[in-house]
Amino acid sequence: MQNVPAPPSVISNPQQENSALILQDENLWYKDAVIYQLHVRTFCDSNGDGVGDFRGLTGKLDYLQELGINAVWLLPFYPSPLRDDGYDIADYTSVLPAYGTLQDFKDFLAAAHNRRIRVITEMVVNHTSDQHPWFQEARSSRDNSKRDWYVWSDTDSRYQGVRIIFPGTEMSNWAWDPISKSYYWHRFFSHQPDLNYDNPAVREAMWEVMKFWLDTGVDGFRLDAVPYLIEREGTSCANLPETHEIIRDFRRRIDAAYPGKMLLAEANQRPADIRSYFGNGDEFHMAFHFPLMPRMFMAVKLEDRKPIIEILEQTPQIPDTCQWCIFLRNHDELTLEMVTDVERDYMYDEYAVDKAMRIYLGIRRRLAPMMENDRRRMELLSGLLLSLPGTPVIYYGDEIGMGDNVYLGDRNGVRTPMQWNGGWNAGFSSADPERLYSPLISNPVYGYQAINVDSQRRSAHSLLSWTKSVIQTRNAFRVFSRGSIEFLNPSNHRVLAYVRCLGEEKVLVVNNLSSSAQAVELNLQAYKKHIPIEMFGRNLFPRIGDLPYLLTLGPYQFYWFRLRRI
Amino acid sequence: MAEESFLGDDFLRQLMSVGEVDLLVGVPTYNNASTLGQTLYGVEESLRQNFVRERAVILNVDGGSTDETRQLFMQSAERSDAGHRGLTSLRTIHRISCEYGTAPSHGLALHNIVAAADLLRAKACAVISPTTTNLTPSWVVNLLRPVYRESLDFVAPLYARSRFQGLLARNLLYPMRRAIFGQRIREIYCEEWGFSGRLASQCLEKDVWREEAVRARPEAWMAITAIGGGLKCGQSFVGPKMAPPTGTDIVEIIRQTVGNFLWCMETNQPQWLSRSDSQPVPTFGPDHELSLDGIPPSQEKIFELFRSGVSELEPILASILAQDTHAQIKAVALSDRSKFHFPLALWVRTVYEFAASYHHTVLNRDHLVQALVPLYRGQLCSFLLEHANASAEAMEAQSELLCREFERQKPYLVERWKLKR
Repeated sequence: MQNVPAPPSVISNPQQENSALILQDENLWYKDAVIYQLHVRTFCDSNGDGVGDFRGLTGKLDYLQELGINAVWLLPFYPSPLRDDGYDIADYTSVLPAYGTLQDFKDFLAAAHNRRIRVITEMVVNHTSDQHPWFQEARSSRDNSKRDWYVWSDTDSRYQGVRIIFPGTEMSNWAWDPISKSYYWHRFFSHQPDLNYDNPAVREAMWEVMKFWLDTGVDGFRLDAVPYLIEREGTSCANLPETHEIIRDFRRRIDAAYPGKMLLAEANQRPADIRSYFGNGDEFHMAFHFPLMPRMFMAVKLEDRKPIIEILEQTPQIPDTCQWCIFLRNHDELTLEMVTDVERDYMYDEYAVDKAMRIYLGIRRRLAPMMENDRRRMELLSGLLLSLPGTPVIYYGDEIGMGDNVYLGDRNGVRTPMQWNGGWNAGFSSADPERLYSPLISNPVYGYQAINVDSQRRSAHSLLSWTKSVIQTRNAFRVFSRGSIEFLNPSNHRVLAYVRCLGEEKVLVVNNLSSSAQAVELNLQAYKKHIPIEMFGRNLFPRIGDLPYLLTLGPYQFYWFRLRRI
Repeated sequence: MAEESFLGDDFLRQLMSVGEVDLLVGVPTYNNASTLGQTLYGVEESLRQNFVRERAVILNVDGGSTDETRQLFMQSAERSDAGHRGLTSLRTIHRISCEYGTAPSHGLALHNIVAAADLLRAKACAVISPTTTNLTPSWVVNLLRPVYRESLDFVAPLYARSRFQGLLARNLLYPMRRAIFGQRIREIYCEEWGFSGRLASQCLEKDVWREEAVRARPEAWMAITAIGGGLKCGQSFVGPKMAPPTGTDIVEIIRQTVGNFLWCMETNQPQWLSRSDSQPVPTFGPDHELSLDGIPPSQEKIFELFRSGVSELEPILASILAQDTHAQIKAVALSDRSKFHFPLALWVRTVYEFAASYHHTVLNRDHLVQALVPLYRGQLCSFLLEHANASAEAMEAQSELLCREFERQKPYLVERWKLKR
């Protein structure tokens, strides 16, 4: 078992300000994390076969360390028929040969830990691939001992009315198995049969899988599709009490045997429903805040803070040991399940006017193209991501403004090879370009010759350099990761302003969501006599007095101020 | 020394906070605390339901209310925001309020509204009266949408009327305006209307805001500015209007409306002198709606006031009217009430001679306008005698006849207007 080297109790502030990051509770590391999400396949190919692998990824850890992230979330890397980009697992305890060996993974893990980078892996608990030996056995005979590991029925009329997650692709949540001549339940694709968590043997098997990886040294799991573990007649078959009991059981075992390991929930639900997955601090440590994500995009397009304020006001308090996980883009479509019809239409009209950009109930685009390659808007959104409460997740490539290709089918357009340089295959692989698992982005605006790590490393003013700087600043102040938030409500609704507080550490964040310059008067009476210090340039601003504090902001500009009473 | 701005600093600060908008709804108030809530509900619901993506502001301009109208305006903003969270409107519906003075003034109120529209670069605006007790969300959308979606610059309301409402408009204002400016807009003297940001900007540029005619009926001046300026005008049906009686008498109403109109004729001569016919305008919803209910005003009293007015104002009328016209009116005034009839042709000629005399300033213009009051009563009495039991269609047919008579005699007006004195 490998462990992350214990960090020093005091990390010197890169800006040499007097705000040392004191790590008192090592087990709460996830609260202070900046997570980088990547797919092994997409990142770096070390053996020239056109597919990214663990050795390639290991070779790029210096880059990730330099970027300033301190956790990596890996998409599924297990043996799989890859009909759902690895979320159809055929073997939970191995590595897909194309990505390397188990030893390669262990080497990667050790190298990451040496750089104080934690590793979070995917645990697809709800379903397996139909190629998994468990399912092969289960379908082989109605008498097979694994038969009851999946959800079977002689009719397709059970659980009527339960939502189909991929409408248009799947017509039903039941699929006919011609071998055992019965229907099996699948909430996702029909080649992904749901496991039967009413069967204790399934829970034990999944715990064995978790133990395997925890023993290897991973720092946490992102549990995929957790709301759907249990089915009950007359319900939506989501968020059921029995599901929570299963989660609590896993959590008890982890806390007992693997303290400091983290569980992250993927539950695309409303905040009030997600809240239940934190339990009393005895279920998940973290959960994605899905509804916030589209509203950040909406707020910038609407030039109005209303969508963000509304959703955060509706977000319930969570236990002290828990944390929201927030993100802008990820490997999936920008999901619009958690918005109203009016909001969804607006998002489509503004961000996906070409129908090819839409898939399921969402938008299959990356951050930069959605922002029309506007640096200011990309920076504003990243600034929000890194300053709102929660642990931020950065999707690979967004730090350099990579583009997408919506014509690659499914969500593959946002899963193209990482663009390292302007040379052969963007530095991703030495294979013939035709052999790459996916075409590179090659258009003149977003192509690898224009957008790549090497060229941006050479410029102090590139998006990559800016991203490093802003992550560095965030990492230096624990108030961003653990502080409270108080929204200021200036009469100018194009400005979103809030104060983050943690003890004596106070940060004022002011964001201009609009495309035009704005003036705003902030009521900062609670911080009278404090001196705002702009955190990137460390310039002093006028001391806060009796009058409303007047600021002017350029288009999409934002400020982070330390509020110091000296 | 720099001229002082009519916009207060606090108002400017509020405008700055709102920024550019798509829609602006102005609500002029003066001690309207009792009815304001219903009005705001209608406005806000309309914006929420019909303009979910648009940037919108509701602007209260207050003439110095002493009943906490402004406080109510801002308080209900907080309540309404909480009550509708996340339902429809994607953006914040802003509410701002300013006090333009210590006494109510239609002109000052509108001046602030158009200034705000111009500064906020509003695309479509509406003015809504807080005294309308039956305002529904559809009123607001019916006034805003033709501007916002159809690119109209001025949208007049069309009200459902009882037969005996709007008699001044029916017998004088509409037919005359239609003949003079050539556009068939029924109501421009109104408390609710829509207009474009472009028209607001044009109006703001004009140095007329201190003129009495504009201060009294700025909405009509705005309409005529749009018509005269060749901007796109239309009308939109909003429904029946219920409002408490204002208590304003007909003399004051004619001073305001006819006085305003004659002033507009004077200041827009190039736009109408050569125009010879009238055109329909885009109309949203029914062209008109006339119900049979309502009680006719007392014809006897009106007749007596007509007769006494013709007699008492004889020297003044003699200075205004052509000799022949004056003689015919005196003859009509001497007729028996049961056989009383004020011929349409005579009425139109009378009005046109008043207009020309206004232009030539044959006497104090305000006195001149007031001198029309008894003659209007004569026309009104004649109309009531002939149509007390008429159907809505018959009344409309009569109105159309009058309109055509105004159009037919327009060359006469032009001739007298151009006459050198």
